[in-house]
Amino acid sequence: MTVSLNGVTKTFGHRLVLDNITESFADGQLTALLGPSGSGKSTLLKIVAGLTPLDSGQVVIGDRDVTHAPARDRHIGFCFQDYAPFRHLSVFDNVAYGLKVQRVPRDERRRQVEELLGLVRLEDFANQYPHHLSGGQRQRMALARALAVKPDVLLLDEPFAALDAQVRSELRSWVRSLQRDLGITTILVTHDQSEAMEIADRLVILNDGKIEQAGKPSFVYDHPATDFVAGFLGPLTYLDGIAYRPHELEVGAFGEAGENVRVTDVTRLGFEVRVTLENARGETTWVQLTHDEARALNPVVNQTLVVRARAEHSVLTRTSQH
Amino acid sequence: MKRSSIVLRCLVLVYVMALLGLPLFFVFQQAFSHGWAALWAALHDHAMGLAIVLTMKVALLAVPLNVVFGIGVSLWIVRRPSWLSHVVDVIIDVPLAISPIIVGLILELAYAQSGWFGSTFARLGWKVMFSLPGIVLASIFVSLPLVSRQVIPLLREVGDHQEQTAATLGAKPTRIFFTITLRSIAWTAAYGVTLTLARVIGEYGAVLIVSGNIALVTQTLTLNIGANFENFNAYQGFVGALLLAMVSVMVLVFIGVARHRMERKRHDSFA
Repeated sequence: MTVSLNGVTKTFGHRLVLDNITESFADGQLTALLGPSGSGKSTLLKIVAGLTPLDSGQVVIGDRDVTHAPARDRHIGFCFQDYAPFRHLSVFDNVAYGLKVQRVPRDERRRQVEELLGLVRLEDFANQYPHHLSGGQRQRMALARALAVKPDVLLLDEPFAALDAQVRSELRSWVRSLQRDLGITTILVTHDQSEAMEIADRLVILNDGKIEQAGKPSFVYDHPATDFVAGFLGPLTYLDGIAYRPHELEVGAFGEAGENVRVTDVTRLGFEVRVTLENARGETTWVQLTHDEARALNPVVNQTLVVRARAEHSVLTRTSQH
Repeated sequence: MKRSSIVLRCLVLVYVMALLGLPLFFVFQQAFSHGWAALWAALHDHAMGLAIVLTMKVALLAVPLNVVFGIGVSLWIVRRPSWLSHVVDVIIDVPLAISPIIVGLILELAYAQSGWFGSTFARLGWKVMFSLPGIVLASIFVSLPLVSRQVIPLLREVGDHQEQTAATLGAKPTRIFFTITLRSIAWTAAYGVTLTLARVIGEYGAVLIVSGNIALVTQTLTLNIGANFENFNAYQGFVGALLLAMVSVMVLVFIGVARHRMERKRHDSFA
């Protein structure tokens, strides 16, 4: 179901946390609310959930104005960053909680919970308690618990932040495919731009309580509307005062077309090689080369090379390096 | 084992024995010194029987009131903080800081028939001082922070994410309180309850003032024990003390169990 925010404003004391946010989250899509800490993204999610009151504005889910509805009447599923497992209840009872509230008959409840536990691959843990589960399992339990009440909208607050790298990337793609299969409108809060780029149909980038830009990840990456978005979505490098993505600059041997530069540093970062360069005016820039490119060129410190923008590069904002 | 550690252990043992073990032992020894028959007779002492009934009445009224108040005020302080709740948070420790005898005097000042509220109550026909309500009031006062001081830090530690999640699952506040909040503080609250119970049963100073210490009428078990000692009936006093000591031991055992459960729960949650 579509979620629409209309002029949502929120202050904590004298601090303006959300400044007149108007945005729509399309039905069935996974939208990432992306921003640095303190940008207001989690507050916005809690306002959609009805867990935090707003100062002014409107929240609409589907065709229901829920601005003044308590969380329990909003038909949403919410997962906290810490998963908030009900510690004193078994995995089964955690997932069954919402169904019990809805007075779903016992047998039907059992059937639905078992189905959900199968969906999140926790069938064998039904009688365990949350403290027996790993972080990833707790997260899947929290998801099953939220999905049990068949919410119109799924709200996830930093769902992968507390997991270690391997589990995180597994769960990410799993959550992504689960969301697609269920076709449930999902809003996910994250501060991790690579996570947002990978998982989301659409990005909404927040900074300082305002929306900087919203759009498809690839579009926003290539056509950032502001300096903040450009810098936040990925690294930038500068040549003659113009910002580029590091892979959009290329280096060539001395004598080729381009600006003469001296190599000041070569760093290998796994698959890629970062080469730092300095021109005659003492301005530094850096480029990212693939392993093959680096092998062909074999840059060494103090060597003179040339640097130029690749033919097909997206023009980013023209900003001074300083 | 290091020698210093053995010395330390012995010191602790001697200290505990001298302060707790020996006096407790003497209470038992004195109570049994006249044989079983005398003990049996003393247990059937009329005044002591009435005192026990009164103490039980006081405990049955004061402990539940204090538990409801303690949990309620803890939730208010932790979940709905305001300047007023901060003030209450500080004031609530006052009963621990001032002597019970002063508590008794304050209550007398306020509730005696000539006192601030007492005159109003008297007009309504309610007698607060020198009767059950006054004793209950004094008992509540001296044990005021015992539940909330246990529950407040736990509520802070547990946080409100479980409660909020339950709300998103459709649960109403009362349901959330009974199925989530109360369940996560149960053992800690139970620990506070036993502390409260021990304090209420054992209170002497405040109750002495507000009850008037009228034998057969407003004499609680502690007052009865004190009166027996003053009236050169030490044996009867020791029998009363034996009963109190046995209740204390039971409370201690329960506290031990509750603490164990509490710590296990905390340990689990961080595993």
